[in-house]
Amino acid sequence: MPLLEYLANGLVFSSIIVLGSIGLSLIYSIAGFANFAHGDTMTVGAYAALVTFGTVGGLGGAVLGLPYGFFVALLVGLSAAVVVALVTERFVYKPLDVGSIGLLITSIGVAFVYRAVVQIRFGADFTRYGIQAVRPIEALVPYGIRVTVHDVAIVISAFVLVAGLHVLLQHTDLGRKMRAMADNPDLARVSGIRTNRIKLLAWVIGAGLAGAGGVFLGLFNQLAPRMGFNLLLLIFAAVILGGIGSVYGAMLGGFLIGMINQLTPILSDIRLLTDFGAYLPYVPDSVGITIGIEYANAIAFVIMVAVLLVRPNGIAGEAV
Amino acid sequence: MSDHVLSLSSVDSGYGEVQVLDDLTMHLDAGEIVCLVGPNGAGKSTVLKTAFGLLTPWEGTVDFHGRDIGGMAPEDIVREGIGYVPQTDNVFGSLTIDENLRMGGVARSEGLGEVITELYDRFPILDEKRSAKARTLSGGQRQVLAFARALVMEPDVLLIDEPSAGLAPNTADEVFEDVVAVNELDTAILMVEQNATKGLNISDRGYVLDQGTVAYEGTADGLLDNEEVSKLYLGG
Repeated sequence: MPLLEYLANGLVFSSIIVLGSIGLSLIYSIAGFANFAHGDTMTVGAYAALVTFGTVGGLGGAVLGLPYGFFVALLVGLSAAVVVALVTERFVYKPLDVGSIGLLITSIGVAFVYRAVVQIRFGADFTRYGIQAVRPIEALVPYGIRVTVHDVAIVISAFVLVAGLHVLLQHTDLGRKMRAMADNPDLARVSGIRTNRIKLLAWVIGAGLAGAGGVFLGLFNQLAPRMGFNLLLLIFAAVILGGIGSVYGAMLGGFLIGMINQLTPILSDIRLLTDFGAYLPYVPDSVGITIGIEYANAIAFVIMVAVLLVRPNGIAGEAV
Repeated sequence: MSDHVLSLSSVDSGYGEVQVLDDLTMHLDAGEIVCLVGPNGAGKSTVLKTAFGLLTPWEGTVDFHGRDIGGMAPEDIVREGIGYVPQTDNVFGSLTIDENLRMGGVARSEGLGEVITELYDRFPILDEKRSAKARTLSGGQRQVLAFARALVMEPDVLLIDEPSAGLAPNTADEVFEDVVAVNELDTAILMVEQNATKGLNISDRGYVLDQGTVAYEGTADGLLDNEEVSKLYLGG
């Protein structure tokens, strides 16, 4: 597979990781909570969209190869993730007085519950939305890029959501309050900001973006009960790489981790000691390390650790 | 009913199980600067936190304009007309000066722009740096921004915790001048200050706290001239 295609796939996968990592970072920086159920919140969004698409998938018309019904399903998936997260926050996390570690462990338990409910209802097998597959964009094939209009839709949608969040954070009072909360929650409170409302809003936006990310992940790959959980560590890596608590860092971290993940197979083409066999006796003609996509997570984490050794606060290293 | 703007009557308060304030009574009148002095651990900052709702009084009352506000949430007390400037971390470092001031006025329903313009006129250093991130300000400039942020609500009372903490002597003097300037805006000030002599020098009255209760009270000049107070609490 040529480099350009890896880059294109990286861009699509990064878009999904970015949506997940922004949500996780927002909830961490404003609500002060490392939510290990975030990946499974993505799964909830994806399966809510699956059910919805089964009902409204026949709506006429299409955009970028995606029927209108998919966008309805996207909205429902996003909303379902928000509702489930808010209900969990209100009835599980909020009443608990167990400290941050207790909440973290609780969120792992919540993740298991989300996943179990999805698996009980839909089974453990992979499934798809039932959207007709499309061929790669013809104009890009000569350049070795085999991406579909669905992939383009994912990137554009993620960009719109991220741009919308940027406008909210930088150009609205609500966004300024969110940044103030992330910067200094005590001062926010004594300034008169209704901090509980802002925390709730962080949950809404964070879970909504996670839900959208989950729906796109189902479109990019397939749906499975572990789909979000499998992405969770990468999302945490992205958040930490970017600078924990920084939404813009999470965007950058998500982009880098997604790209690294998809570019990993390129390493299999890089041969250490290449061709030394031609000159040296008893050395094979080609000696190298074959690194397939199955090692992508490990590589992403190695790079994350390497960056943190140089920049302990992550790349951005600043609240929101 | 008293005419005091703010009064604490027979207040017990503390952190968790630890009692700090013990039957404390004090008041602040309109237009005054009142300074709380005393040794470390005497409960000076605890008075401000209790008055501002960051701590709920265990016993006693906190009255603002004759209304009991004890235990009310800080975000509601701000709306009642009391501002609070914490000792440390009193600006939003990652926000610009302008955004910091806007955060000070989140509870205002109108007139935010006009008030911020007036504050820029009064504190030109903020006007010059309105687009700069607050973390780039010097210690003294940060303190000015912290005052200005609290003044956006045009409070009747401003509670200031150790305004000179961590500042060089010259900068601290400038900050005390700013405290007086804030007071001239018809804002009564209840201030905790470790540098008791300097704090009392700009104040109308003072309270000397020891072990959570009022050990001495009087006019600032009276306290400064009191030999016992001077010997025990002012390092004289």
